[in-house]
Amino acid sequence: MPKSLHIDPAEVRAPGAISFQDIPVNVYSRSVEAERGRYSDADFLRIFRDISILREFESMLNQIKTQSVYNGVETSYPGPAHLSLGQEAAAVGQAYLLDRDDYIFGSHRSHSEILAKSLSCVEKLPDQELLDIMENFLAGTTLRAVEKLGACGSVKELAIRFVLYGALAEIFARSTGFHRGMGGSMHAFFLPFGVYPNNAIVGGSAAIAAGAALYKKCNLKPGVVVCNIGDGSIGCGPVWEALNFAAMDQFTTLWEEGKRGGMPILFNIFNNGYGMGGQTRGETMAYDMAARIGAGITPSQMYAERVDGYDPLAVADAMARKLKLLRDGDGPVLLDVITYRLSGHSTSDQNAYRSKEELDAWRAVDPLLSYREKLVKAGIAPDSRFEAILAETAERMTTICRHAADEKISPYVSFSSDPQVLERLMFSNEKAERLDAAEPSVLCKKADCPRVRQLADKARAAVTAEGKPVSKLKQFNIRDAIFEPLIDKFYTDPTLIAYGEDVRDWGGAFAVYRGLMDVLPSSRLFNSPISEAAIVGTAVGYGLCGGRAVIELMYADFIGRAGDEIFNQLSKWQAMSAGILKMPVVLRVSVGSKYGAQHSQDWTAMCAHIPGLKVVFPATPWEARGLMQSALNGTDPVVFFESQRIYDMGEMFRAGGVPKEAYEIPIGDTNRVRTGSDISILTVGAALYRAVEAAEILSREYALEAEVISLHSLVPLDYAGIIASVRKTGRVVLVSDACERGGFLSDVARNITELCFDDLDAPAVVVGARNWITPPYEFDADFFPQPGWIIDAIHQKILPIPGYTPKQSYTDAEQLRRARLGV
Amino acid sequence: MAKAVVMPKAGITVESCIISEWLKRVGDRVEIGDILFTYETDKALFECESTAAGVLLEIFYGGGDEVACLVPVCAVGEKGEDISALRPGPAAAHGPADTAAAAPAALPKLPQADKSGSPALGPDGAAPLKISPRAKNLAGRSGADPALASGTGPNGRVIERDVCRLLAEGPAEAAGEEKPGTVSHAPAAPAFDTFEYEEIKFSGIRRAIARSMFGSLQSMAQLTHSHSFDTTEIRRYREKLKKRGGDFAGITLGDMVLFAVSRTLLAHPDLNAHLLDGDRLRRFTSVNLGVAVDTARGLMVPTVFGADKKSLLDISREVKALAAQCREGNISPDLLRGGTFTVSNLGFLGVESFTPVINPPQTGILGLCGITQRPRETPSGLALYPAMGLSLTYDHRAVDGAPASRFMKELCEALESFTALLAL
Repeated sequence: MPKSLHIDPAEVRAPGAISFQDIPVNVYSRSVEAERGRYSDADFLRIFRDISILREFESMLNQIKTQSVYNGVETSYPGPAHLSLGQEAAAVGQAYLLDRDDYIFGSHRSHSEILAKSLSCVEKLPDQELLDIMENFLAGTTLRAVEKLGACGSVKELAIRFVLYGALAEIFARSTGFHRGMGGSMHAFFLPFGVYPNNAIVGGSAAIAAGAALYKKCNLKPGVVVCNIGDGSIGCGPVWEALNFAAMDQFTTLWEEGKRGGMPILFNIFNNGYGMGGQTRGETMAYDMAARIGAGITPSQMYAERVDGYDPLAVADAMARKLKLLRDGDGPVLLDVITYRLSGHSTSDQNAYRSKEELDAWRAVDPLLSYREKLVKAGIAPDSRFEAILAETAERMTTICRHAADEKISPYVSFSSDPQVLERLMFSNEKAERLDAAEPSVLCKKADCPRVRQLADKARAAVTAEGKPVSKLKQFNIRDAIFEPLIDKFYTDPTLIAYGEDVRDWGGAFAVYRGLMDVLPSSRLFNSPISEAAIVGTAVGYGLCGGRAVIELMYADFIGRAGDEIFNQLSKWQAMSAGILKMPVVLRVSVGSKYGAQHSQDWTAMCAHIPGLKVVFPATPWEARGLMQSALNGTDPVVFFESQRIYDMGEMFRAGGVPKEAYEIPIGDTNRVRTGSDISILTVGAALYRAVEAAEILSREYALEAEVISLHSLVPLDYAGIIASVRKTGRVVLVSDACERGGFLSDVARNITELCFDDLDAPAVVVGARNWITPPYEFDADFFPQPGWIIDAIHQKILPIPGYTPKQSYTDAEQLRRARLGV
Repeated sequence: MAKAVVMPKAGITVESCIISEWLKRVGDRVEIGDILFTYETDKALFECESTAAGVLLEIFYGGGDEVACLVPVCAVGEKGEDISALRPGPAAAHGPADTAAAAPAALPKLPQADKSGSPALGPDGAAPLKISPRAKNLAGRSGADPALASGTGPNGRVIERDVCRLLAEGPAEAAGEEKPGTVSHAPAAPAFDTFEYEEIKFSGIRRAIARSMFGSLQSMAQLTHSHSFDTTEIRRYREKLKKRGGDFAGITLGDMVLFAVSRTLLAHPDLNAHLLDGDRLRRFTSVNLGVAVDTARGLMVPTVFGADKKSLLDISREVKALAAQCREGNISPDLLRGGTFTVSNLGFLGVESFTPVINPPQTGILGLCGITQRPRETPSGLALYPAMGLSLTYDHRAVDGAPASRFMKELCEALESFTALLAL
């Protein structure tokens, strides 16, 4: 929406045609002889060696899964084994030119990608650096186990063993694995070699990889990002969102000098022809050749081409050309790397979807045979040399397998002796004022920001010291309370970026960011496409690379559009990486009002249900500012719920209003806004104000004093304040705007019942919105909890009030009726 | 045709009673008005007269059984008549709440048609006691029997406020008591324990006193001030009344203190009040004086309603009548409730000072002590005068020390110029 981009009717209405370039298909045709300039004999052989190592690694897994024995080592492994046997040459060809600054992200069939990239780095890194990396990784745990494999002729050989052992121990769920066994087969990676997470969700890496590229671009970090996805993922919406996000025009049209240019990312489709068993070409997809899709994304057609992945040299050749484009700022680029999976999708695959002839035809061109034959023919080495390499590979693999399977050398973590082993990994709980030492990039001094100047004049409380109400426009409100710590952080942490739909020129749909545009360059505050999956997914990638991102989904209802990214990615990577990755991402979501069924929902329950997310929902300016400050100083993913009903609320409860100085509210605290001894009313979100109103009615008309506590933190939640209140009052009603069934407060009510059972005078009662669609705003009071509902529920379920006539039915019979009907 | 005799309802608030002793046996011939059995509430003993004439055909409940009011306890008619229709249903009585072994075989159901809240039955009653955990806890801590509380929570559940009310106002119904009795124990192994002893089971009244007093001291902030006043004037006045004769002669010094209290108290409304739920004070506009009466069955506190409007003579007469009823055990339970302030007199036993215990939910109780000679400085040197001690216990939650002392000061002054008080 920037004014600088003019939409000229004359131009956009003019006739014309879109023309395309030819898309190259398997154009590589150089002979070994011709490649001698690029590769030494040792290089040629090392490519073969790496292919053999990858093949042996997965053959071993296949045998263990199917026969529980490999070369005499008897062991079993119950987890997944999504193998890429047959696809090794493509992985080795891709990795050949990549170094540790280049990051790869993978799919759930990524053993070979991980190992190939690691072996490539082992080859490129000096010995001392390799030793340091191994020594420092997990405080030497993995290296100590590797040393037990026996004496080693060279640091490089030690590093090869380290890579293979670390990956295998991880797959075998051992504490000596790359992530102490907590990631497993589909989540094995090794950051020191630029090997970033692979992903059990098909296409899950696309947006994350784009976020990693965003990190490199915004923070001027060296290297490129390779996003490995399968052809099966091209049917996934988030993959398309990521492709578009990575190719946004603004990188070249709007971003400031120094950061301008294309995103340094290669979308690499390892195209083995199948998405599990569904045949992509001819059955489940429409693109014919995957290389075609680049033409649908950018005018450059993403420089897409199809490459023969059964020829490692063809892949390496393509990589060389794509890397140059990326380094020149012409990304993103796309490769359609043809390959073939000689094994099943998993070991349970009966291969019912393909013919023996097809398998035989591909086996006949297996690179392990065809590449070897080509090298022998070209005289690179005698055939016996290849036999020796294969023997050496098998021997190494056998020793590693024996050790990885041996519980004495490769112990499991023990949940019995250390029950909190995984609990400690769920959150990093660190404090980090800034995530990089660089100078934050800003357009002017903070004090010169018009909004900052305006806020300085605002009243920090809703009433004056004399008790007079302050005009709404002059109150420091929740909008301001979110803005203030954010702008402070923009001037402290150079990695901080904020994006989402309409956040820049518009200032966010609800004006929280108004004024930020005046001080921040485009690279730190930019509009995203309407791509919730990409918004969250890229932030995941940005965060796990070491940056801090604050992203916004305009309405909480759009969480559904980013389901996988929030529930499987944002939440899980810290623990799946055994704490190696951090996730300093704040996801702002706004609960709407007035906009009906798809724009008014409080979905805190969904986020609170997923382990690994911190969830807050401030309801006052004091809460909003302190919680945002905590979120921005932390290293954990925080889902920051806001309510559009109360953005303009000033601080009504805190004596002295909202402090001008920065302060944190520990996530997990509760905020008691009113004291009373007769009943506790716990609220989440905007319902706080209706609860306070109910409390005032109870006091005025029924001589009942309610204690009102705002549960601004849902996860984590310290129950101390809640328990103290309920012990005192013996009665508790819990209120929020979330639909009552399955709401977060039902969970709190259950805990209260368990923790305060002997103190309760009545069951804990939840008053939520009705289990309907949200009707139009005209019927707001018929759907969302009202002060009267709270009193009705108290009267009927907790403490009958003499002379009171309820309007809403909270009888057992009505409860049962509604449950029976599911409404 | 055979008729049932039902357990009488001894007072508006009485829901059930315990049969003490059957005076007639099955087969005896009875007339209307004959005493069939005695029964008791936690506050008094009563006699049940037969409401039918004929032969006592069957007794449905024995001594010690608790029976809901208006439930048939026996059948009277002619021999051979079918009385099956008269037998109460299977759940009208409940045994002593704390002695499950003594539960009667038949557990008739309590009628509960016209009650605002369901009665809370004991654990061995057919209807389980619906009680919130918090109320149960409070009852356990305070020694209250939750089965005596009227449930006002949802679905008749006994909730905290019901136990509070029970503690403050006493049981709304007589229930859950067992017949007082003695069980003699002879030690089984004399070598081990050579002392003989007897255990006395608390009577209903004893248990009610125990609960009420314990609850009182546990739930209030009680403290006691001791004052004294010169009794010269009231003694002189009493001599005059004695000379007058008749009921006037029966007016005691204690009656005069009651009179003085009834006239002084309304100026100190926080002491003529009930403290409810720990945070509300119900001040009364008339003085209902509780008067502690010592009886063979234990302490009883009948109420002189509207004492502030009654003459000294009326008060004197009424106290005597109430005390007599208490001692005879036939006082209506309705007269044992409703006090707004209590006076307890131990002076005649020579007590010099004591700490009376407040009868909840009242906020004060005045103890009358004996008369002692005290010296006083006069222009002609030390002179003795007869001083009566007064001990006021008050609930500091409701009343502070200074106002309580002001009340006492005013009371003492009123008693020292008693004839002026009479003129008011």
